[in-house]
Amino acid sequence: MIQEKFYYDNKIVKLFAYATIFWGIVGMLVGLWAATELAFPSWNLNLSWLTFGRIRPLHTNAIVFAFTGNAIFTGSYYAVQRLLKARMFSDFLSKFNFWGWQLIIVLAAITLPLGITVSKEYAELEWPIDILIAIVWVSYGWNLIGTLLKRRVQHIYVAIWFFLASFVAVAVLHIGNSIEIPVNFFKSYTVYAGVQDAVVQWWYGHNAVAFFLTTPFLGLMYYFLPKAANRPIYSYRLSIIHFWSLIFIYMWAGPHHLLYQALPDWAQTLGVVFSIMLLAPSWGGMLNGLLTLRGAWDKVRESAVLKFFVVAVTAYGMSTFEGPMLSIKTVNSFTHFTDWTIAHVHIGGMGWNGFMTFGMLYWLIPKLFNTKLHSEKSANTHFWIGTLGMLAYSVPLYWAAFTQTLMWKEFTDAGYLAYPEFLDTVTQIIPMYITRIIGGILYITGIIIMLPNLIKTIKSGYIIENEEAYAAPREKLAKKRLAGETPHRWIERKAVHFTVWVLIAIIVGGLVEIIPMITVKSNIPTIAAVKPYTPLELEGRDLYIKEGCYTCHSQSIRPFRSETERYGEYSKQGEFVYDHPFQWGSKRTGPDLARSGYRGGKMFRPAVWHYEHFKDPQGFIEGSIMPAYPWFFENDLDYSSIKRKIEVMQMLGVPYPVGYADQAEADLKKQAEGIAAELKKAGKDIAWNKQIIAMIAYLHKLGKDISLATADNKSNATDKKTETVNFTASSNPEDLKAGAEIFKSSCAACHGANGEGVVGPNLGDNFTLHGGNANNIFKVISDGAGIMTGYKSQFNQEKLGQIASYVYSLLGTNPKKGKDPEGKEIQK
Amino acid sequence: MENKKTYPKKVFEGYNEKYDQKLMIEHDYDGIRELDNPPPPWLMWLFYLTVFWALGYAAYFHFFHIGPLQAEEYKIEMAEAAKKYKKSDAGTKQIVLLTDETSLNAGAATYAKSCAACHGPEGKGGIGVNLTDNKWIYGDSPENIFKTIKNGTNKGMASFSSLSDEKLMQVTSFILQKLQPPKVTDTKDNTDSNN
Repeated sequence: MIQEKFYYDNKIVKLFAYATIFWGIVGMLVGLWAATELAFPSWNLNLSWLTFGRIRPLHTNAIVFAFTGNAIFTGSYYAVQRLLKARMFSDFLSKFNFWGWQLIIVLAAITLPLGITVSKEYAELEWPIDILIAIVWVSYGWNLIGTLLKRRVQHIYVAIWFFLASFVAVAVLHIGNSIEIPVNFFKSYTVYAGVQDAVVQWWYGHNAVAFFLTTPFLGLMYYFLPKAANRPIYSYRLSIIHFWSLIFIYMWAGPHHLLYQALPDWAQTLGVVFSIMLLAPSWGGMLNGLLTLRGAWDKVRESAVLKFFVVAVTAYGMSTFEGPMLSIKTVNSFTHFTDWTIAHVHIGGMGWNGFMTFGMLYWLIPKLFNTKLHSEKSANTHFWIGTLGMLAYSVPLYWAAFTQTLMWKEFTDAGYLAYPEFLDTVTQIIPMYITRIIGGILYITGIIIMLPNLIKTIKSGYIIENEEAYAAPREKLAKKRLAGETPHRWIERKAVHFTVWVLIAIIVGGLVEIIPMITVKSNIPTIAAVKPYTPLELEGRDLYIKEGCYTCHSQSIRPFRSETERYGEYSKQGEFVYDHPFQWGSKRTGPDLARSGYRGGKMFRPAVWHYEHFKDPQGFIEGSIMPAYPWFFENDLDYSSIKRKIEVMQMLGVPYPVGYADQAEADLKKQAEGIAAELKKAGKDIAWNKQIIAMIAYLHKLGKDISLATADNKSNATDKKTETVNFTASSNPEDLKAGAEIFKSSCAACHGANGEGVVGPNLGDNFTLHGGNANNIFKVISDGAGIMTGYKSQFNQEKLGQIASYVYSLLGTNPKKGKDPEGKEIQK
Repeated sequence: MENKKTYPKKVFEGYNEKYDQKLMIEHDYDGIRELDNPPPPWLMWLFYLTVFWALGYAAYFHFFHIGPLQAEEYKIEMAEAAKKYKKSDAGTKQIVLLTDETSLNAGAATYAKSCAACHGPEGKGGIGVNLTDNKWIYGDSPENIFKTIKNGTNKGMASFSSLSDEKLMQVTSFILQKLQPPKVTDTKDNTDSNN
């Protein structure tokens, strides 16, 4: 057979390898810094761009997209050419892929610390960068599929299946999750609202883990592990089964990030059952890797590369066992919002992705440079110190999670929260946070040991950038299935067919979950009391997003007694209909904030409290690990886009009145001046246009509306009129006195100090507008009447009863200077 | 078929050629070969088991409606707690100020943790009102103070109902006896405080 000569492009592999190492070190150092801030909050140095909320997304993005992203490209550009016996389809696309990807990373490293973010986890980058990512990612896929089409081998190998699935799925996920409407060049709002946004985000978020951190690395495993061990793949059939079941099932499991939250039960159930079904397909990958090493275990003892692979594959197996377990609702009720999640992802990230990458680099760099690894011993040291670091990182966090969740949920014998102060549950785990820093340092020490070893290896060898290779051209076979050919073997030689099947497999799960969430109304029961954000609240919300508050504070109270006792009524689907994007968060380093606008609730804090707290959290509350936000007091609120913001919200269906955008700025100013005046009364002189004012406005909006709807949860009041109450006035002097007190502060302004009537009617005569029995009075106070507002959101039933009793007692007292009678005369 | 019998051994034993089926002749990708082994049966059984479990789980909650869904589960939890714990209803019972040193110290500790941030370490006020001036917006009786702390106020004070009644009584006692000036100097005529 005639052998064709062609050249492998090794230069692109080299470039990606260098980028992997560089961004790996950067990403890990950022992570280390962020971890340090959690134990020592002053490490943000009072710099906005160094604060946890801003650099945590930088760390996750740097590790996921910069470190492992470049590792994927390194490995796939090397393996794809060799597995397909062809140079990459286009050198231009290869270069475009490389430089485009590095540009994206640099832009991320600039914009994220500046707080330019959409706040959707692992998809934080703003819309212009999103577009760039889509273009660069498609250029990779184009290059991949182009190479597939010009390949010289007949069938495509399992590693390529995984690369292909990764490309297709990530393209779909990224584009689907990033549909947003720009406000300006640096700001956009996602088209999805509240619960829908949560479902779309975690369909993306979960599958970013699946198709960016799992399937491409399985691709790497299927190439580099058998190469390094020089053993055949254990089972071709297992490859087929676990590949298809994995990519199909993964896409359904997203809702397990939202268990026991404001998500319809059917969606939660899908999340649970598909996560459980994911266990065996995931383990299929682990087993095919480990069983491939049979007969090579003696080599593992000497080879650092194989050691890295073995621990990586084992960590993969552990993570994919833990994942389904964490998706069981009972387990999840304990682990969610705790450091368990952080420990879990670091077993995956440090173990599976990190160690696969290190193993690959130790094998690949000597191959590329036609030499031997400079020091096998140093690589072994890296392995051991990295393993130790991984354990020292994750074990304390598991411990911290266990401790904290039990503290959150513990009740005393009398039925009260054992640790009502959230802070107590934080200070308890600070020692674990400190230990985890040590784990991080050890892990980074590993990669720093790797650096000189690889540099010396590179210096001792030489690279052939265009490596000569020979292969026979691909034989043309019939399009139809050949006699004796299995259906799978058939599509393995039909790349386009294969890609279409992959697309079908990955798209079903998302469609089944997302489409009903958007189209079927009953999935998100509306709550009439929930109103759109005022312009100032909206600006405050955008600051909350900018500062990355969601990285430490949830806004999602789960339906457990331990949570409703601590925070207030649990979160409902209908509360979030105007939230673009949703802000439920995934971790509670600080307390939940969903009810921080509920006056008289457990989480309400007055404006001046927030003022002091943002200024100097540690000075204000000893032991707090909240960072200080001094710039909130210096920086002016930039509300220049408020008109456009309201217009975009209207476009997305938020019911602001027609033409409201023109009025927005004036309203914003008015509300801000109100808050500034309130602060002034408390002795804090601050201009109305500082950022702190908008933050306070936003925090005071959270849960305010639903508190109007559900009133005090103890009283079971609903947004329906209070009709069922059978109230009789109390004559207990205690109650009357309490009623009088409230009357003085809440009613006297309109009804006069003695009920003589001012704006409101005279309450001391014998005339009433709405009926004079005690029950009627109670209803009017509770629900309001005419221009009078209802007070059931502000007072519980007991207090309402006290006021009603007091008002009832006023009837016929005929106070001095009484207003003229209104309504009907009654007999008391 | 001896393969099948000895299978479980194979998983744990070292490589042994006779257990493996042949290399697949056609399968050679850049030198990587593939074996034609069946997937480990226990893994397949695990998979089938999870699928059955999934069907059962969905049926249990959604087709036969046996298991409680989220909102229902919460109601059950709350009802059980209501049965188990008889929480006192603030306002319905007389509150006797505690005077023993232990209670007052406990009250001081709670005060330092939960109240001092707003009312000042010595109760002189700050964000919250001054607690040492004998002026009370919501009534000066222990009951009223107790209730104010427990239920919060419309003006901005948070509800501390997550603290036990015992703790609330301790802190009420502390405020009234340690932060307040002696009653002798009280010029207000409103003195129904029972201490």
